[in-house]
Amino acid sequence: MSDDRTSPNERSDLAGEYALGLLSGSDLRRAHALAQSDPEFRAEVARWSRRLGPMLDEVAAVPPPEFAWAAIKSRLDGLRGDHTVVQLRRRIRQWRVVAAGMTAMAASLALVVALRPLPPQPSPIEVARPVSAPLVAMLGTQGKPADVVASWDPSARQLILAVAGHVPSDPSHSRELWVIPQGGKPRSLGTLPESRQTHMQLADALAQLLQQGATIAISVEPRGGSPTGSPTGPVVASGPLSRA
Amino acid sequence: MLCASFSPPADLDFRIPPACGMEQRMESVAEHRASNGGGDLVSLLGAVSNGDRDAFATLYARSSAKLYGICLRLLGSEAEAQDVLQEVYVTVWQKAERFDSTRASPITWLAVLARNKAIDRLRRRALASEDLEEALEIEDGGPTAFEIVEKAQDETRLGLCLDELEERARKMIRTAFLDGVTYPELAAREGVPVGTMKSWIRRGLQQLRRCLDR
Repeated sequence: MSDDRTSPNERSDLAGEYALGLLSGSDLRRAHALAQSDPEFRAEVARWSRRLGPMLDEVAAVPPPEFAWAAIKSRLDGLRGDHTVVQLRRRIRQWRVVAAGMTAMAASLALVVALRPLPPQPSPIEVARPVSAPLVAMLGTQGKPADVVASWDPSARQLILAVAGHVPSDPSHSRELWVIPQGGKPRSLGTLPESRQTHMQLADALAQLLQQGATIAISVEPRGGSPTGSPTGPVVASGPLSRA
Repeated sequence: MLCASFSPPADLDFRIPPACGMEQRMESVAEHRASNGGGDLVSLLGAVSNGDRDAFATLYARSSAKLYGICLRLLGSEAEAQDVLQEVYVTVWQKAERFDSTRASPITWLAVLARNKAIDRLRRRALASEDLEEALEIEDGGPTAFEIVEKAQDETRLGLCLDELEERARKMIRTAFLDGVTYPELAAREGVPVGTMKSWIRRGLQQLRRCLDR
């Protein structure tokens, strides 16, 4: 159709369409690739963005909730802090890209992000909110990047797992999820379905084991789960729970 | 064609209704003018680029409602708008030095940055549902916000040039920009084939370019 836009005007049209955000699917990917590789095209997109930008004046201002500022400040603190925190956040963001299609997931993570640790100075929000910060564990294997993210929302007692990579299908085995409290023994949280995301509601007894510093792990077990109540197969992914 | 099957996620149905009457427009502009007293956005951005946290707090106080409004309008979901707003300000903190006051007004620079991040999120959402693997290859952030390279006086010309467009093209360009819709979505809204919508918009863009280049 219009895949060979060689004249400057045609390229400018494409840049304009891209800047407007009209493109989707393969057209979007193509324009995006062009924007990455071709400085002239990128400049043309920028030109259109700047030219169209003043239309945004029309959009009504809406004050964001107060905790948004607290969350931003804590992100900035994280940027200055140690490198692993930054990497963890980057990893979470990458995971979020994967989960982006899953609206419910995205919304719950946004919540996790929104409820990041509050700054030291007092604020009305801090007073109102109980001390039950959401926790996140990036589950990986040695030398390999994490491909499973567990996020734990203590107030809802909800554990959400998202798998970034391929979910293997193996009819003769189950993957079982464990929590290992610091200095404690593994306790089963149940077997995992073969899906990219899993929501689990945990009973109180298990919920209280999900504390900062506890480890979340996945092992491969016979179909239906470990026969002994402890992990019997190889651990394919694990990681500590920490503040989101 | 991939995009033909794209349908917006359910939460898009809860879009904030477009509320952009003249009164609000005047108000928002007036707000920015008023907020410029005692350290304008240009000098605040300058201070932020030097790592001044107080300036950053002031900048946030003065611009966040505007940028949150943009995120909310495009994304339709408060949780996502809050998340993108955070990304926007983290980016501002990291990259404020890229703002050049001789080339764009600060509020436009910030607004375009917020819009690009929101569009990026929207498109990623769409791409992820179509094709997860390829979506991963798309890098963070729009490529455009920092490459605002031309004279700011263009900004004032936009209104004039938009007014010169046919009513239909003007309306479609405006809707695309402010609602973040794709060709297939826009065509469906108007009940015309995608090809028709493309030719309306392209003609509009060509006219707009001729006018702005004048």
